[in-house]
Amino acid sequence: MKQELGWEPKLLGFLCRWCSYAGADLAGISRKKYPANIEVIRVPCSGRVDPLFIIKALRLGFDGVLVSGCYPGDCHYQTGNYRARRRMAITKKFLEYIGIEPQRIQASWVSASEGGKFAEVVTAVTKELKEIEHNQLFADEK
Amino acid sequence: MKNNEIQQRLRQEAKTLLEQGQVEYIVGYETGSLKFTTTPLLTKNKDDTDRLIVNPFIVNNLSVYLTEIKGKVGIVAKGCDSRSVVSLIQDNKIAREDIVIMGIPCPGLIDLKKVELLLSKDRDELGNITRDEDRVVITIDGKGRDFPITEVLFDNCLECQIPTPQEYDILLGEPTTPISGNVSKRTNIKELEATPREERWNFWKEEFSRCIRCYACRNVCPACFCQRCFVEESEPQWILPTPKWQDNLIFQVIRNIHVAGRCTDCGECERVCPMNIPLRSLTRKMYEIVDELFQYKAGMDKNALPLLTAYEPTEAEDFIR
Repeated sequence: MKQELGWEPKLLGFLCRWCSYAGADLAGISRKKYPANIEVIRVPCSGRVDPLFIIKALRLGFDGVLVSGCYPGDCHYQTGNYRARRRMAITKKFLEYIGIEPQRIQASWVSASEGGKFAEVVTAVTKELKEIEHNQLFADEK
Repeated sequence: MKNNEIQQRLRQEAKTLLEQGQVEYIVGYETGSLKFTTTPLLTKNKDDTDRLIVNPFIVNNLSVYLTEIKGKVGIVAKGCDSRSVVSLIQDNKIAREDIVIMGIPCPGLIDLKKVELLLSKDRDELGNITRDEDRVVITIDGKGRDFPITEVLFDNCLECQIPTPQEYDILLGEPTTPISGNVSKRTNIKELEATPREERWNFWKEEFSRCIRCYACRNVCPACFCQRCFVEESEPQWILPTPKWQDNLIFQVIRNIHVAGRCTDCGECERVCPMNIPLRSLTRKMYEIVDELFQYKAGMDKNALPLLTAYEPTEAEDFIR
């Protein structure tokens, strides 16, 4: 399918309240440039993200989903991000198996001091999403 | 040990358990209302234990009842069922001391649908189905026909690597070994993986267009023990109640992710599906993913942490930026 002109991917970010959200905030304060394709939902912890949120976002037409949390060992709740990691690992593999592009499911560790990394991650993810088609997975309303 | 010896011993053991008050309930199988079929038997009455049976048609995974019964239970469990029981113990849904597991080393169960297909006959037209080691003899109009057992076993039984119960109090019979030279006919995981992404997606789209969202797969699944399933939540309403393919697919995919590390590949979801959706091509894949990533098989160790609760400091990092 041809991409429509000027099409921009829509990315949904689930950012952990303690690290990645603060990292995104720092990116803004530091005037880092990154694509405005991301919409952010703040979650208490990356461990709060049920894979259901991810597939629901795709169902609603988002082109990709980014789950971002604290680095391993840095979780405010000790183990939340470790659990998120296991969950994301199986989710990514499983969704790929049923036929969802792996680029649509993204994860990152961004700490509160890494405004620069946050900008880089969003830039890289947006670039990857531009390389694949607009999300038409659930579009067939039969 | 032959089935009738196992059956005899099971009846005795079950009766003793009830008489001595070691358990309040017995959960097993009795003869069903349709030909060859069996149906679950839940009883408090020691006289009912004479109705307990063991044969190649004891399909149900009885552990699904455990979370709903209050009091001590004696349960008949095949290999996969015993792992479901262990999985429930791991999740703190039941206590080990409340369960007496009467384990049956399972040589595989006979799929009546396969028998019917093989002979192009309805089950009511068949006389008898008897298993003898790796052969099965089916009598039609008084004449016996002989087939390899692999022709009529359930797919998950053909692929089963752990036929002997892992956890038991009483083991009825000798430990048994997996079926050798097995060929799976229905799980097309390998074929699916070899096809392009769009085709895989379209395959599942087609399959889930048939789904009528009866939730039989969920209700029969011992790993699906949530009091309230996300599909019934109304705020937010994750999926609509009407069975559109998108929502059917989301339901089944998320169900699979939610039971990851609990699913023992007992194959009940696929067996009960009225629309013949190849659900084991999903559950089996998840079983393999879990094993590949975390070297974890559901229900092997009652003291292990559940898969999605446990973690290692470093693991599965490669996809994270």
